[in-house]
Amino acid sequence: MDSSRRQFLGSIGQVTIGAAASIAGANSADAASGSATDATNATGPHWGMVIDLRKCIGCQACTVACIMENDVPEDALRTNVSVYEVVKEGRDPAMVMLPRLCNHCDEPPCIPVCPVGATYKKEGTGEVLVDASVCVGCAYCVQACPYDARFINHETQTADKCTFCVHRTEAGLLPACVETCVGGARIFGDLNDPESTVSRLLAENDVSVLRPEMHTAPNVYYIQLDEALDGRVAGEAAYRPMVTDAPESHGESV
Amino acid sequence: MQIHELVGTVHEAAWLPWAVQYFFLIGISATAVFLTFPAFVLGRRAQLPIARLALLTAVTTGIAGPVALLADLHQPARFWEFFVYTNATSWMAWGAWIVMSYVILLLLYAWAVHRPAFYRWGKDNWRFAWLFRLLSLRGEANGFARSFGIGAGVAALGILLYTGMEVAVVHSRPLWNTPLLPLQFAATGAVGALGVMLVLGRFFDTGPTIEAWMNRLLAAGLAVVAALGALWFLVAFSGLSASHTEALASVAGFPVWQNIALWAAAAIVIPFLIAILAPARSGWVTGLIAIHAAWMFRWTVFMGGQAVPKVGSGLYDALMPTGLEGMMGVIGTFGLWIFLLIVYTTFVPWDEADLPGDPASIPTSAPSSRTVQG
Repeated sequence: MDSSRRQFLGSIGQVTIGAAASIAGANSADAASGSATDATNATGPHWGMVIDLRKCIGCQACTVACIMENDVPEDALRTNVSVYEVVKEGRDPAMVMLPRLCNHCDEPPCIPVCPVGATYKKEGTGEVLVDASVCVGCAYCVQACPYDARFINHETQTADKCTFCVHRTEAGLLPACVETCVGGARIFGDLNDPESTVSRLLAENDVSVLRPEMHTAPNVYYIQLDEALDGRVAGEAAYRPMVTDAPESHGESV
Repeated sequence: MQIHELVGTVHEAAWLPWAVQYFFLIGISATAVFLTFPAFVLGRRAQLPIARLALLTAVTTGIAGPVALLADLHQPARFWEFFVYTNATSWMAWGAWIVMSYVILLLLYAWAVHRPAFYRWGKDNWRFAWLFRLLSLRGEANGFARSFGIGAGVAALGILLYTGMEVAVVHSRPLWNTPLLPLQFAATGAVGALGVMLVLGRFFDTGPTIEAWMNRLLAAGLAVVAALGALWFLVAFSGLSASHTEALASVAGFPVWQNIALWAAAAIVIPFLIAILAPARSGWVTGLIAIHAAWMFRWTVFMGGQAVPKVGSGLYDALMPTGLEGMMGVIGTFGLWIFLLIVYTTFVPWDEADLPGDPASIPTSAPSSRTVQG
């Protein structure tokens, strides 16, 4: 599996419909098998994401796709796009987009703190996941995550976060946010495969990660990330209206 | 360069006011238990009144605290998993075992200290004598109270260690990730414990001599808190400790935090001066301010710490809670604690506790007020 949505669409013309199950590339069979034992195979994929900030337009389609795909509660987000106005001396103001999600770190600080071992890194493919049937909802992992990527899901009362859409990648599909990205800014793929698009992008571009000082070895990389935005952003906060308990209804009442 | 966040997210505090209450109460309990030692472990009779107040404080807060902790879990019914799926790399996992050990040892210690009085109450002719015969296990020997006390003391050290480390190891929150934090929790816990004891001492009228003793101890505790605070700022300003410098930088630019620093300084200096200048008649004031100082320190660390975004801009609203829901943890826990105080002082002969294993301390069997004549 190795693609952005744009590349995925392009690939349709090159393969037969019957091969659609393998649209994600040569490694999709490994991903589809999905079991932890299979995933320990050293030749298996290790998922990562490259976000090309030159292509992100801040449309939040990824935010919405994630919510719809993962049934994310109304008061939380697994991914979103932060938008900043950056004014550098002598230059015109610039709008800068910064998609955020779980970084599926190779040294995830959320895992050692979990008192019951409910959060774990999937062997091989490397997604950081939560076993909601074990999670006690202590929120220690929420505190430990340096990216504010975790939250307590108030419908399940357990820790929740981006899974890299593991249920989709195991079926040979792309994560919903990648699938829906309008500008093809989110590219997902196998970091173990030197021929994958993500590997090539990492080799050909200057890439950065968020909060490098935390030494978490993230698997989400950014192309053209401004240093001023890679940590806690020192600036004026966005307007935050008071959240009311009763959300306004926009749909047909049931 | 100027940056304005146009679209951002707000992350709610994941550790709720229940957690503040837990750290407040367990900090008081785990330090109060050491104030019982001069009398109940080392056998110093002159310290008995203070030890009685300290044991009353340690037991009631030691029960109410873990209840608050349980309430802070979003899946409280799964608490048993702490003991089945212990993840040894987590301070919280060790904490579950330490808290359980501490509460059991503390209750055994309190039971052993009170056993002779339970026995006496069980021999009186009154309505609940049967209950006290059960509680005393039909005996009054309690020489083993010292062993239980030392065990509870070791567990209390474990509490102070784990509660401090659990928070201090969180690298993602600069305000928490400071080596001095465990010591600050312990010192402010002791200040809170002495505050509670001073208020209880006034309430139960233990007299000016005891009050002066406790006020001097409180002044010493406040001096330690002030010294730790000064050291915190020193290593932060000087750059001697990068983590402290980062902690200071994370909040220093916000007026609300500058006000908190001034408020904290006042909460230390004012009771210190009163305790030094009028130790024998200021227990209400110094006690209540000391309780407030210990509580406020934890509120500021936990809720204030969670109000600092890890990646976003500005501050979140966690520092100042809004609505009744946010305060229910505080109100409910204090309510439980007061209930436990009432139960303990009503049904436990806390003020009859004597030196363990001391035959001379066992009073003659004069009829008590509970004895029903005729």
